[in-house]
Amino acid sequence: MAVRVGIVGIGHTRFGNSSEYDLADVLAYAATDALQDAGFLEHRKEVDQVFVANMASGLFCHQSAVASAMVSRLDMEPVPAELVENGPASGASAVKLGYMAVASGMADVVLVVGGEIMRKVSGWNATDIVSTMLDTDTEYAMGLTLPGFGGMFTRLYMEKYGLTERDLALLAVKNHDNGAKNKYAHIQATCTIDAIADGPEADVVNNYIAEPLRMYSTCPVSDGAAAVLLVNMDSPKAKRFAKRPVRVAGVASATDTHCVHNRADPLQLTAVRIAAEKAYKMAGLTPKDISFAELHDAFSILELAISEEVGFFDRGKSFLAVRKGETALGGRLPINTSGGLKSKGHPVGATGVSQVVELVRQLRGEAETGRQVKDPKYGMSVNFGGFGNNVVAVICAKD
Amino acid sequence: MIDFSMYDVKVPKILGYQCDQCGTKYYPAPMICSKCGHRRDPVTKRHWTTFELEGPCTLLTWTRVWNLPEGYNKKFLQFGIVQFENGLRASGRVEVDEPKTGLKLTASVEESDERPGKPVKIFVFK
Repeated sequence: MAVRVGIVGIGHTRFGNSSEYDLADVLAYAATDALQDAGFLEHRKEVDQVFVANMASGLFCHQSAVASAMVSRLDMEPVPAELVENGPASGASAVKLGYMAVASGMADVVLVVGGEIMRKVSGWNATDIVSTMLDTDTEYAMGLTLPGFGGMFTRLYMEKYGLTERDLALLAVKNHDNGAKNKYAHIQATCTIDAIADGPEADVVNNYIAEPLRMYSTCPVSDGAAAVLLVNMDSPKAKRFAKRPVRVAGVASATDTHCVHNRADPLQLTAVRIAAEKAYKMAGLTPKDISFAELHDAFSILELAISEEVGFFDRGKSFLAVRKGETALGGRLPINTSGGLKSKGHPVGATGVSQVVELVRQLRGEAETGRQVKDPKYGMSVNFGGFGNNVVAVICAKD
Repeated sequence: MIDFSMYDVKVPKILGYQCDQCGTKYYPAPMICSKCGHRRDPVTKRHWTTFELEGPCTLLTWTRVWNLPEGYNKKFLQFGIVQFENGLRASGRVEVDEPKTGLKLTASVEESDERPGKPVKIFVFK
């Protein structure tokens, strides 16, 4: 029987502007929270492995080898530590590698920390740095950016399925409602449909970023970190932790063409579908079993498209469910209870870990008042790298 | 943009690649042909044919980007994905006043020196 892997500790900084701080400190802060949450801070040198997820500290902060820096900041030497880089999916990739380390028998306790400081540079520079994940000659050189691909994807979806800009605004309203109650969110403020879509000033308040995507359909540039402590639930060590483990029931990833233009159907996010199918199979679950989900809404359209690819809704139907409130808190299937990337923020290296932290908070029943899903059993996260060319799905279970 | 008509220099080209073994066309070039498994050697360039990728194409989708990265001193730029008559697709700049999905365009290659560093080749769809 395969080893059961569980999460016994979680940590999270408030996302936002932490540009005055050192990245190693921000990572170490979230890691300390996770170790403390697990009641393992004094025993931190007994951690078998540390994985640090980060996308581009060399470009954002002119800093490399951040795993070594963080371990030293935590006084954890000689614990082994490595950096995991997989674009904006670095976080969930690190969780996956942590799972693999425990499942393989090489480690019983693994600390996974994801973080990014993006706001040390200007917004224009940050957009450029994030764009370096695109194909160098055929996309980046053209001047393309991630919002550019988000805009082109949105147009295709709108023309095929009848999605409107107002539908995208409804997603922003929903996610800001959730994020306003999340103590870790970057933007803890609600917005109204009148302000960003229906009212006379909406065009100014909610200006275009990459047509037809507007500002309220695009995530902010954020700093922050998140951490989880993974353990072998079947090891005698499992009894040493203060918190009951939340089991990682499924974790899987998949890749797609690096160049977006080479996809046979540019509206299909094949890597999302394959990663989710593999995660369901590993967990022995189907989409109907999932109680709530954290989906990578760097652009609001992605929340819709991902929710269809993972099997929650038929193709082209997810926005109809949003109109009916099915994905709101209290709805049939709450999505992005944390506020999502739109409201909680998107420090690229942190996001995948942050999504898993939200799964654990909800499954433990520790979300803030007004944001807690009622009696959830299974939570799913999808962390989306590149423009869908490297995707990780995680399913956590409350046993 | 650099106007190459003023100088006696080589006009920039973007190349497509064709596997000599099975005839499948690619852009950009893969290391291994996904259809027949034939390997490409980027050093000797043997057994793969290159061809200039330009000319008539159809606009599949497009966007107008208002938050450009550092280096682009423009209010906005338009981008799109097109399909060439040989079936290959490419991303690049769209330089028409009113883009529309399905629009017939012509692709040409220009050099851009907007970003720091060496100039790069870009597709312009007009």
